[in-house]
Amino acid sequence: MKTIQKLLLSTAFAPLLFACESNNNPDPVIPLEATLVEDLAAPNDDIDRSTGEILEERPFQFFSLEQNSLVTEQQDWDIAFKGTTIRVNSTKNVQAAVVNGIFEEITEVPANATFESDTETSFAIPTGSGNGWYNYNSATFTVTPIPGRVLLVQTADGNYTKIEILSYYQGNPPVEEIDPRTTPSGYYTFRYLLQPDGSTRF
Amino acid sequence: MFRFNLIKLILLLSFTISAEALAAIQGDEKMILDQQGKPIPFALVKVDQQKPMPVDQSGQIQTTVSGDQVIIFAMGYETIKLSWEEWVALDEIILEEKTENLDQVVVSATRTERSVEDLPMPVTVLNSQKIQETGGMRLSEILREQTGLQIASDHGAGLQMQGLDSDYILILLDGEPLIGRTAGTFDLDRISVSNIERIEILRGPSSAIYGSEAMAGVVNIITKNNKEQSQATVALRHRSFNSWNPSLEAGITQKNWSSDIFIDHFRTDGFDLTPETVGQTQNPYQATTGQLKIRGKISPKLDLSLFGRGYLENSTGQLQIGRDENTELLDLSNNREDFNFNPTLRFKPHENWLFTLRGMSSWFTTQSSSRYQSDGLLFDQQDFSQFYHRTEFQTDYQIRPNQLLTLGLGQLVETVEATRYEDKNRFDAGYLFLQHQWDPGQKINIVSGLRADLHSQYGKRLSPKISGQYRISDKFSWQASIGAGFKAPDFRQLLLNFNNAASGYYVFGANLAEEGIARLEEQGLVAQILFAPENLGQLQAETSWALNSGFRWQIQEKTSLQLNAFRNTIDNLIEAAPIAQLVTGQNAFSYFNIRSVVTQGIELDASFQLAPKVSLSAGYAFLDTRDQEVLEGIDSGEFFKRNSQNQTQRVVRSDYGGLFNRSRHSGNFKINYQENLTGTNWALRAIYRGKFGFADRNGNLILDDKGEYADGWVSLNLTVSKTLGKGIFIEAGGTNLLNTATPAQPNNPGRVLFVGMKVPLIHANN
Repeated sequence: MKTIQKLLLSTAFAPLLFACESNNNPDPVIPLEATLVEDLAAPNDDIDRSTGEILEERPFQFFSLEQNSLVTEQQDWDIAFKGTTIRVNSTKNVQAAVVNGIFEEITEVPANATFESDTETSFAIPTGSGNGWYNYNSATFTVTPIPGRVLLVQTADGNYTKIEILSYYQGNPPVEEIDPRTTPSGYYTFRYLLQPDGSTRF
Repeated sequence: MFRFNLIKLILLLSFTISAEALAAIQGDEKMILDQQGKPIPFALVKVDQQKPMPVDQSGQIQTTVSGDQVIIFAMGYETIKLSWEEWVALDEIILEEKTENLDQVVVSATRTERSVEDLPMPVTVLNSQKIQETGGMRLSEILREQTGLQIASDHGAGLQMQGLDSDYILILLDGEPLIGRTAGTFDLDRISVSNIERIEILRGPSSAIYGSEAMAGVVNIITKNNKEQSQATVALRHRSFNSWNPSLEAGITQKNWSSDIFIDHFRTDGFDLTPETVGQTQNPYQATTGQLKIRGKISPKLDLSLFGRGYLENSTGQLQIGRDENTELLDLSNNREDFNFNPTLRFKPHENWLFTLRGMSSWFTTQSSSRYQSDGLLFDQQDFSQFYHRTEFQTDYQIRPNQLLTLGLGQLVETVEATRYEDKNRFDAGYLFLQHQWDPGQKINIVSGLRADLHSQYGKRLSPKISGQYRISDKFSWQASIGAGFKAPDFRQLLLNFNNAASGYYVFGANLAEEGIARLEEQGLVAQILFAPENLGQLQAETSWALNSGFRWQIQEKTSLQLNAFRNTIDNLIEAAPIAQLVTGQNAFSYFNIRSVVTQGIELDASFQLAPKVSLSAGYAFLDTRDQEVLEGIDSGEFFKRNSQNQTQRVVRSDYGGLFNRSRHSGNFKINYQENLTGTNWALRAIYRGKFGFADRNGNLILDDKGEYADGWVSLNLTVSKTLGKGIFIEAGGTNLLNTATPAQPNNPGRVLFVGMKVPLIHANN
């Protein structure tokens, strides 16, 4: 993770979304800011493709959404990455749900979103192509975040976050430039928006 | 007359002698030959207004008079007019067979002999001349030049017709089905073209007479039948990538019996579009075909024919496994074998009755093994063995001169044994079909049919079809047909038991899903059942309804226009989908009847005589395909994509490009030129394949982004051929002369150059 940038994406949308209400509501609207995390390196275990044998086991990378930084497993982490697997911190009762939609348009946690935590046998963010956040294309051998998949996470502090994963390859390259043999993978680029007041609105 | 033309072998060696030198040896004796290089003993030559002179038995003539113009004619052949200078310069004159559809009898459309003009369904017939003009050695190379047909590379060279894949196209050899598919694809490269007499391409579903697989259409390959007392021809062809194709054809006819033997060998070094990686795009392979046909009359009313064919193929290659410093090289070896034996009895007790009893047995096996190059130890071994037997009894009854009724009854047994399947599996089926051909008036032809299939796996299936034709005038006829097609679930979809060790996923055939999931649950591997396997039910056949309609318009003798529009609505398409999530995060898959697809389009063929020696033809195909579920998903806003700024947007209908690997536009343009001075035939063809969806790039798995298309391309192909004296045939040319190669088309090696020669060794007529 080299740089972390703040984006003011939602400032552009907020006046539109709240335009009607602002006339009647004297409270000023505080725009929430989406955070962009670039190239979070979380390489998968080194696996012999022909036998499935793990040659070298690699650690999960633990991330705190509240702090916007990598932390250790002992600290208050929310989500953790390794390869295409994303875990949530079940010991701190971090929960997650996967929904479909456009990031900006999700202004509220949908009522039908089912939040779960990781268990012994399952992940709140399902793994496998097409199940969770990515599709694996066996024709081009690339992992692509599923457009329109948004991960909702209730952090260890109980705040709701929406996350959109943008790329699995180093430098967030356009899809045409990804060569699965040479482009380093296991580098997450994602943006997220955290509602610090504990409400379900973004 | 019975001659051994050994002298041709000498000619073959001294092939560099110029035409002039040959002319000097032969004096001014001319030979009149047909397009196969055989003499036409009944040809006539007329100089100016003088009395026509017949040629001799060997097609030779020596002109004793001179004049300004020479006319050469023979019944059933196109007349040629030459100036005296042209006549003097030539040693032999080749007459083209008349292109009127007289010889265009089609058997696959109705399982009775019927001429093309009387058929109310879209049929294309490729005769031996058209086959030879492509310069192709394997069947895929002939079919890829035809309007509306594409060759897709997926576990072999698979045909695509009316937007449907190889899985849905029935391939017949002399009327009997060929078996042996890998992942649904029938590899057309298994068929050598050296002894093909003609190819019938029947578009639209024909399940009403053929049952399963005949959903998009039928391709019937008809091999040569010797009509002479004895004949033998050897041929040798060579082309780029060190490919060689020697073949031998021979036939003997004695009294009521005739036999044909054919042996063909093909070998190639293959090619590699990605030299930076280990392993070739096409591995080197060699293939040998042997075929024997015996036909005869046991009595005036009883005919017997025996057909036997064997095919052996071996390919070798290399594969690299592992990553970084842990790589290992594997040696690959693949064998494919295919045997057919088809005896047929035909009994015609009366002119209105014909009974045909056919037996057909086919064995298809593949073995693929990979071994470590370092120590020779076995890495993986996969075997597959399939047996198919069919007995069929067909009765044709001429009710009236304008009504022909056909009744067929058949039973079939199919067994399969494979590394990835458990045990030996057997399917049984029986069927019955009924067809009525009726010409209610001079202008109307109607063919209606119904077939019932009863299968041990997918139960009952009824497939009706009705086709009609109305002749508006002698030159213009309109056809329309509506029919049902189906494809039975294949072995893989029912019986597969596969576990990918490397990534840890499982695939179970529908019959094994319940048991497979239960076993995984026992092992504690299942995290979540997505679809209870006991609710899977039986896998149903994939079904379709299709409409075909168009016209045939013979504008002038050699100018014609043909059009066919089609729409296929296919339901119950079988697709692999996850049924359980595993604790490893991977999935277990099984097969479901889940998709519905529509393919529709228009195919247009035009031919035109530009000048006496120049003919043109053009073809165009428009194809539109769509997955109904995807369209519903788009309408309800379930599909998203990312734009170039990486912003997520909803996919709209106009973004959707239909099914992958389908070209919306494709076509061909062909010029044939007969050059009299050198006696050569030139066939120049430009084959266009428009852009097509190659692979999903933006993660939503559908074709909706510009970057997901492979570019269109034109293949420029040229064949130059000449028939020399004594029927020696030589050819040279090239395909894909512009050398366009793209990794999106792994079956396209780039430019290929070829030369070939065919020499009749024995040639005797009664």
